Amino acid sequence: MFGHDFLAGYSAKLLEYGLAVSYLVLFVAFWRYVQGGTAKAQPELRATPHRERAASSGWFELPSDVALHPGHTWARLLADGSVAVGLDDLGHRMVGPVESFELPAAGVTLAQGEPAVRLHAAGKSVALVSPVDGQVIAYNAAVADSSDGSNEPYGQGWLFKVQPANWKLSRAQLLDGPAAKDWIEEEAKRLVARIAPRAGVELLQDGGVPVHGMAREIDPENWDRVASQFFHTEGA
Amino acid sequence: MDSATTVPAQGSWVQEKIFLGMTLKEYLKSLWTPFNIVAAAILAVGLPLIVYRFYAGLGATTNLSQTQPWGLWIGFDMMTGIALAAGGFTIGATVEIFGLEDYHPIERPAILTGFLGYVIAIVGLCADLGKPWNMVGIFSNNGTQSVLFEVAWCVCCYTSVLALEFAVPFFEWLGWQRFYRPLKKILLALTVLSVMFSTMHQSALGSLFIIAPGKLHPLWYSESMFFFFFLSAVIAGISMVIVESAISHKVFASQFEGHHFDADELTLGLGKAGAVVMFAYFFLKLQGVIDNHAIEYIGRGFYGKWWLVEMLGFVLLPSVMYAWAARNRRARVVRVAGVIAVTGIILNRVNISMVAYNWTQPVRYVPSWMEIMVSLALVTVGILAFRWIVNRMPVLHELDQGSPAGH
Amino acid sequence: MKLGRRTFLQMGAAGTAALTVTPVTAKAFGREEVPGEGERAVLVDTTVCVGCRGCEAACAEANGLPDPVADAEAYATRRPTGPNSFTVVNQVEKPSGESRYVKRQCMHCVEPACASACPVRAIDKEPTGPVAYHGDRCMGCRYCMVACPWSMPKYQYSKAIPLVRKCTFCATRQAEGKKPACVSVCPSGALNFGLRGELVEEARRRVYGNEGKYTQHIYGEQEAGGTNWMYITDIPFEELGFEVKVNDNSYPKLVKGALGVPPVVMTLWPPLLMGMYAFSHRKDKNGKKGAGEGGHHG
Repeated sequence: MFGHDFLAGYSAKLLEYGLAVSYLVLFVAFWRYVQGGTAKAQPELRATPHRERAASSGWFELPSDVALHPGHTWARLLADGSVAVGLDDLGHRMVGPVESFELPAAGVTLAQGEPAVRLHAAGKSVALVSPVDGQVIAYNAAVADSSDGSNEPYGQGWLFKVQPANWKLSRAQLLDGPAAKDWIEEEAKRLVARIAPRAGVELLQDGGVPVHGMAREIDPENWDRVASQFFHTEGA
Repeated sequence: MDSATTVPAQGSWVQEKIFLGMTLKEYLKSLWTPFNIVAAAILAVGLPLIVYRFYAGLGATTNLSQTQPWGLWIGFDMMTGIALAAGGFTIGATVEIFGLEDYHPIERPAILTGFLGYVIAIVGLCADLGKPWNMVGIFSNNGTQSVLFEVAWCVCCYTSVLALEFAVPFFEWLGWQRFYRPLKKILLALTVLSVMFSTMHQSALGSLFIIAPGKLHPLWYSESMFFFFFLSAVIAGISMVIVESAISHKVFASQFEGHHFDADELTLGLGKAGAVVMFAYFFLKLQGVIDNHAIEYIGRGFYGKWWLVEMLGFVLLPSVMYAWAARNRRARVVRVAGVIAVTGIILNRVNISMVAYNWTQPVRYVPSWMEIMVSLALVTVGILAFRWIVNRMPVLHELDQGSPAGH
Repeated sequence: MKLGRRTFLQMGAAGTAALTVTPVTAKAFGREEVPGEGERAVLVDTTVCVGCRGCEAACAEANGLPDPVADAEAYATRRPTGPNSFTVVNQVEKPSGESRYVKRQCMHCVEPACASACPVRAIDKEPTGPVAYHGDRCMGCRYCMVACPWSMPKYQYSKAIPLVRKCTFCATRQAEGKKPACVSVCPSGALNFGLRGELVEEARRRVYGNEGKYTQHIYGEQEAGGTNWMYITDIPFEELGFEVKVNDNSYPKLVKGALGVPPVVMTLWPPLLMGMYAFSHRKDKNGKKGAGEGGHHG
């Protein structure tokens, strides 16, 4: 053998590759070793704007029998065939504590997507649309005068009841389940983006939970525009 | 939204999963579309040709010669196919490594495109190899001084990684939680591996030509070709994802109902990235030309002009278009630029393997009609497979955690 | 010593003793190291070649190839080698009307591009000199054909189970102590078989010595980092049909830089990427798994 340079190259290269592969295996262990150990004691969490998707949209829970209208009102079919209507969780968070609701009287005919309720909060007002077609048969007196029904937006916070004209038809236009979840998250992000395009105002807590009363950040000139866009009412 | 509609009486598993809920008769009837007819015609010619190639040999089916050993099947099926399948690692890295969760909705289609692209490229390669069964030799024969050795190994490893990444929606479709749960956990490791393997073989495909300086025109040849190929693969990945998601949104529109994401916003973001990378690539190529003492070739003769066409028309132009469109928020222009950029990558690979290669030879290679039909058939199979999978498996949308049934 | 070497070369041309003599390296004489100096090589002196094409016939017989074509057809054009003709002799006319003949075949480089290119070692460089092809390992990728600057490997495109074909330097014969078939039948002494180091010296002596009749270049001494088939002639090499734009460096060395990239990527990418991951997910507190790792959403 003449110790050929060229032929020695094969084993040299093989050794290089072999070393690299061994390194990769070792790297996994090494990385985990380095990243292990106790984390620094965390100070109390400040609310910070969270641009990432929340690991799970835990803050938003929609009862299984409730469906949402894009105007942020919800509808639930009751045992007696009537439909309860209210303002959804995000809508409550947007306006914060409500001073009063102007609810429709019994007998009034409502159309899906048309303004039905007016609420007053923080010195401003906005209309909410009806999620279904039908005739009003009852309204929630307890809510009408005061209290912030955000504790149970889908329960005790109901606003009024209707006798639906065609429940199946109305129902088909509404969102529920995972579709509603995705949509609500998008709405929250869009809302935050509109209210606070710069990251200065902290409107989403850790975990992407919208802060109550975000609407206070909106200056009066833009209130009408932002609110009517959000609640799908024009002007009103 | 899906749960609100009434579900027809549950058919067999086959009917649900394979025939999209239709009976066999209904399903077959639904296949009678113009696109499918054209595709069937292409396959009817192309697939038997592959069998014929193995029966009659390469000489009977291709225009390859002793001076042109590599033709359309290597230059287009293999090299271009692999470049265009680069979306898998670019978007995977964007989402998993850089943490840009906004791009999550387009991650799975990109991985699927990548996986199918590589499978098709490998099939095309087998058709081109004289004795494909000896491929196993790369594992045993210690051919480590060869760039092709490294290409082969990396393509094997990367296709395996892609298969594992694709297995997640696949097992979700089947509802086999035991399989997709652990796979999801190692998604980060898989993504790191995929970026690593992609970097290696995308660049190595360029390195293949470094050993043949006399055969490749100086404007395309460089001792740093591997770097250009890697960068253009990133460009190809970004641009293919732009184009593919635009098409998917149109063709598979029904799958996006209720799962809205701002496709335009993502397109603009990708356009921005594309603009910057292509701009850098343009200047890097110029540096390569200077380094190779080839400036005098620019604009001279057919090749000098053709190089300018490729660089100005298909690199600089789409880069500027991307930039302008991203800045002025014109998603549609980004998509058009994407098409031009993809064409530019195809052009670059074809130029290097077939046009600028053997540029001094008097008699030049032109692919035979059989080569073209086979390549066309392979692309068609890829598209059909993409469509079949996307119509059934959670690729364009995702399933709930915990609810394994499909849409 | 000069005499001893001349005698040695004469013996080498005629008999087998050359193959049993311990190789003498140039180092012992205090000169610079010649690549592949201990390998077996051939010096082709085209000024002596008479164009009998006996080498073609002998090669065909030794390798089971079809008989070479007749002279009239052979000398009508400049032929390349082919799947069924491992070597060809081409004719060139000098201005004086005299003919020159040049035998072409695989150059059996010291650092062969084709061998380095083959991913399955189907083409392998033997330390004794020949660049050998092993059809059983070949997968038919044809990268060797791309790599060779002389495009010497030829492919059996017409066969269903094709092989690569080129001059074998009669490696089997050499292993048995014989000379290559072509060398053994050459009547004029145009083909000089021996050790590369010595053939380089002999070539230098003829070309740069007082003879003066040769073109001042030894083709194959530096080309591609040195080849084991070298040529000297008295007309310009381009006229003989030689590619003159061949690199003077070995071709495998050209790709050394590119081949160095993969191990570096395998080493650097994981920490780089994991670092980017850690950076982009730095807001995830309490060691909770970030959005990208583990519990992947959806």
